[in-house]
Amino acid sequence: MKDYPTRKGPVRALAGISFRVGEGEIVGLLGANGAGKTTAIKILCGLLRPTSGRAEVGGVPSSRPEVARQVAALLEGSRNVYWRLSVEENLRFFAGLQGLSPREARRRTAELVARFGLQEKRRTTANLLSQGMKQKLALACALVKETPVLLLDEPTLGLDVETSHELRGMIRMLASGEGKTVLLSSHDMGVVEDTCRRVIILARGRVVADDSVPSLLALFRTTAYRVSLRDGLSAEARARLVERLPALRTLDAERALEVELPPEKDVYALMDALREAGVAVEGVTRVEPDLEDVFLRIVRGA
Amino acid sequence: MMRYFWTFQAVLVRFLIELKRYPLNTLSSLATLYIVFLLLFAGARYAQGLGVNLFGEGLEGLVVGYLVWTFAIIAYSDLSWELMREAQQGTLEQLYMSPQGFRFVSASWIVSSFLVSLFWVAVLLGLMMLTTGRVLRFPVGTLLPLLLLTVAPVYGIGFAMAGLALVYKRIQAFFQILQFLFVALVALPADAPWGKALPLALGTRLLRRVMVDGETLATLPAVDLLALAGTAAFYLFLGLGVFRAFEGIAKDRGLLAHY
Repeated sequence: MKDYPTRKGPVRALAGISFRVGEGEIVGLLGANGAGKTTAIKILCGLLRPTSGRAEVGGVPSSRPEVARQVAALLEGSRNVYWRLSVEENLRFFAGLQGLSPREARRRTAELVARFGLQEKRRTTANLLSQGMKQKLALACALVKETPVLLLDEPTLGLDVETSHELRGMIRMLASGEGKTVLLSSHDMGVVEDTCRRVIILARGRVVADDSVPSLLALFRTTAYRVSLRDGLSAEARARLVERLPALRTLDAERALEVELPPEKDVYALMDALREAGVAVEGVTRVEPDLEDVFLRIVRGA
Repeated sequence: MMRYFWTFQAVLVRFLIELKRYPLNTLSSLATLYIVFLLLFAGARYAQGLGVNLFGEGLEGLVVGYLVWTFAIIAYSDLSWELMREAQQGTLEQLYMSPQGFRFVSASWIVSSFLVSLFWVAVLLGLMMLTTGRVLRFPVGTLLPLLLLTVAPVYGIGFAMAGLALVYKRIQAFFQILQFLFVALVALPADAPWGKALPLALGTRLLRRVMVDGETLATLPAVDLLALAGTAAFYLFLGLGVFRAFEGIAKDRGLLAHY
C-alpha cells in the first residue's frame, strides 16, 4: 500500500496490491494515468518506500541498496542518460556505478553498442542523438548492469513506429534469448500485446485483472462480424435485417455493418439474413477484440 | 570491496569528463574567484596604506583565509547543485539504484570534487602568490590532513544542504547566506573554546601557522589538533544524519524524480 502525504491529507496511490512475476516472464503493467503503475515500479526499485507491505526482487527486499544487483530500471524514457556524455561514456559510467570493473565495463559496452546498432554514434554525446537512439541508449544503460530483472516504464514513449517495433523485438529477445525477467508498463497496447505473455491491469491503485494475454482476449471474445457492403444499406433492407439481427450497427456511413450474433446463430444465419434482405455483400470478417478493448472494458467495469 | 573502488572511479571519471565538456563554466568559476581575490587584495593594500591592517595577520593571512573560503564554498554547495542537476536531468533515480548505495555514490562525488578543488586551489594559489609577491610554505604532509580536517565540517554542511535539496529542490538562497557565514568563520580568531567548536575557524588559524609561520603537525598544539578532528567528525556525521533523514522523506513523498 502506498499513500503520498499531502497538505490536504494522504493520497492513496496503491490500495493494497499483490502480484508475483516469475523468472523469465515478460509481464505488462497496464493502467490509466494515476492508476499506480509508476508507483509500483518505483517501490520495486527501492526509489519509493511503501506505506505498508513489502516488495522483494529475487528475494532481496527492495528497501536495501543490494536490490540494485537484482533489478535495473528504465524510468522516464530517455531522461535516464547523461546528455553531455557520449554513448560509450554513459554505458561505462552505469557499468561502474553497478560496481563492474573497467575491463568488464568495456566488454559490456562494446557488446551493447553493437547489439543496439550504435557503433557509428558511440562517440556522440547523448544530446545529439535522435529520440529513438536516446531511448535505445537508455535501455542499453539499464542492460549494462547485467541484472536478472528489468523494469521498463514506458520504454517506447515518443518513438516512431519503426523504432518502436525494433525496440519491441529487443525486449522480446531479453526474455527468450537471455532469460531476463521483465516488468513493462506502457500506454501503448500494441507494445504490451506484442511483447508480454501476461498482463496485470491496475485501476485506482488496485489489481483488477492478472491473466495471460490470450485468456484476457478470450474473456471478451464475441461472435461479432463486420460486413462491408457494395451498395450501402437502404432503409427497407435495414429494417428487415434488424428484425432478424437486433444487435446490428451500421458503420462508415452505411457502407458497412457490425453485428453480434446470439449464441444459437452462426455465420450461415447471418449470410441468409443478408441475402433475404437483398443486401450486396463485398466481404465478411470476424471482429476480434484487441488488448485495448479488453483494457477499456475491464477498467470501465472496475 | 573492489566494487566500491570501481564505482568511485566511474564517478570520478564522469566528473572529469563533465569538467572538460563545460570548459567555459570551469574557467569562468576560476576567473571569478581570482577577480574577487584581486578586489580583496586591492582593498587590503589600500587599508594598509591608511595604516589599518584589515586582516589581522597581513597579506599572507588574507591568502590563506581566502583559500580556505574558496574550498568551503566549493565544498558545501557542490553536492547540492549536483543533486538538483541530476534531478532535473532525470538521472538522480539511476544514481539511487547503485548496489553500493546512494550515500557512497554521493561521497564519491564529494571526494572527486575535493580532488579537483585541490587542483583549482593550487592554480589559484599560484596566481595569488604571483599577485601578492608573498611566498607561502607547502609542507604537503602537514597541509593535506589539516586541510581535510578543516573542510570536513563544510562537507558535513554540504550533505545536510544536499538533503534539503532532495526535498525542497530550490535552496539557492541558503547558499548565499552560508557564503557570508563562512567569511565570518574564516576570519574568526578561534581563541575561545566555543570558537574552536565552530567549522573552519580553528582550521584556518592552524593552516596559517603552517603556511605563514612554518609550523608542522609536530609543533602545532595537540589539543588544537584534537579539537579540529573532533569538530570535523561531529559536523560530518551530523550532516550525514540530516541527509539520511531528508532522503527518507524524499522516498516517502516520491520526490526523487521531481525538480
